Amino acid sequence: MDIIVPNNIYHVVDAISYGLYAFLVGGLLLGFHRKIISRIQGRPGPPIIQYLIHTFKYYLKEISIPITAGNPLYIFMALMGIIVWLTALYLGAVFKTSLLILVGLYVLQKIVEHGCGLSSGSPYGKLGGVRSVFSAAAEVPLFAVVGIIYILTQSLIIKDIISYQLLNGPIIFKLPFAAFAFFILLISKAPNSPFGIVKDKSIVSGYITEHFGILESLILISDAIAWFVLLWLFIAVFIGPIVILNPLLTLIGMAILTFIISIICALTPLLTPNHSVMLQILITALVIVDLIHKTITV
Amino acid sequence: MSLNIDSIAGAFYGYVPFGDIVFYFTEFSLIGFIIALFFTLVVYLTKPEKQLESQIGDFGDKLNYVSLEELKIRRLMAIICGICTAFAMLTGDLFDYALFLAVIGIANMGIVSAVKKEGVLSAAFYYGIIAMISTLPLFGASALILAKTGTLSILELAKNSHDLLFQKIIYAVGMVGETGIAPFYAAKAEMFRAPGAPYILMIHLSSLLIIVRTVEIMLNIH
Repeated sequence: MDIIVPNNIYHVVDAISYGLYAFLVGGLLLGFHRKIISRIQGRPGPPIIQYLIHTFKYYLKEISIPITAGNPLYIFMALMGIIVWLTALYLGAVFKTSLLILVGLYVLQKIVEHGCGLSSGSPYGKLGGVRSVFSAAAEVPLFAVVGIIYILTQSLIIKDIISYQLLNGPIIFKLPFAAFAFFILLISKAPNSPFGIVKDKSIVSGYITEHFGILESLILISDAIAWFVLLWLFIAVFIGPIVILNPLLTLIGMAILTFIISIICALTPLLTPNHSVMLQILITALVIVDLIHKTITV
Repeated sequence: MSLNIDSIAGAFYGYVPFGDIVFYFTEFSLIGFIIALFFTLVVYLTKPEKQLESQIGDFGDKLNYVSLEELKIRRLMAIICGICTAFAMLTGDLFDYALFLAVIGIANMGIVSAVKKEGVLSAAFYYGIIAMISTLPLFGASALILAKTGTLSILELAKNSHDLLFQKIIYAVGMVGETGIAPFYAAKAEMFRAPGAPYILMIHLSSLLIIVRTVEIMLNIH
């Protein structure tokens, strides 16, 4: 007797596979990032799969909840990171929906960082959370970037933006300021970045200080998917169909971007919170001036 | 309905003609609405964290509790803030949106006003002053748009070009002050030092969702 499998099951399997693919690629790229930083600093560094090994190790560790924690927020925040980035992955890379929705999901990452830090009750976590609020200045250029892209393409739907580039060439050459601002956002999201004040070692591990075991593993999984989504988004929005329509070229593009970001992270010191915010506000001002210029001239 | 909303906020699912107040549903607004309501539920269910504070010039740490009386008023304010944020995602009227923003500002101050800490209270006071001043550009821009176009409906304003650049800039300035983002975030960030994780988090969530929604509105009306 033939077993009839509904089509929906295949869609679910596809979705889970793509989520797993994004996690594995993101995790390997973050491992690659760490390796390059180590080599530049004259150390052999851990193997590239170290990020994945860490994630699996923490996943199997015993969970412990501090007495100061505010539950269920403390547990929910770790899960929310995965929800946010899986949603961004499917809406962005699969359905190619509005860039504005992805920006909205990106800013929710701030809520995850802030929520993780606050709900633990730890002073280190709290400081990481408050720094995450301060560094929200990094998101402001993102809104200006969205505005500039809309002025150019007359659409924020990623599918339309890719189609626009098919006819007119990569947007990176038309909107270098916007691409630069988005690239700075990628740098600020990278581990050991000059803008990484939320995970500064002077405050232990920042907002994830009090998240142990499986909760830390969930945060690592969401970080890996986030890295994949952000790199994919940069390539899709600024480089376009030449790269993004070919999965192999997309992977190569992601590896090159990670390599460039790793070199920047390895060669720059961690900025103080004040300097980090001041620099991000400067970039914001640049992009907003560009936006106003484009608005007036169009 | 042929609108450029489709190309900004994703698929347009329809609207509710609720008198003058029109709510409309797009992919973006529905996601924002669900997130805000879901967070409100989480805030309602979560017990406040016990904040551990290290003491300067002394040994040991101090554990800060949120008392029951304080919890009740702060939770109420956080829920009001969450509901206003959720409906601000759906509204299709500029004046309503400005009203929701004003209520969110008041609720944000309410969330921290029950905390008996001088630093937190003075931060809330400064934020309150900024929020009050910001109501002028916010409602003023709404009035200017109404005077120029004869409507405050985002759906109507999205249909044709009305040359609203100046009004949009003023409206955005009002939003910036009301949500306390850069360059006004200094006062608001200090408010986040207050104990009581879920309630404080609602201040942050409402600000971020409002900023994204304002960007959507600013792109829609032209």
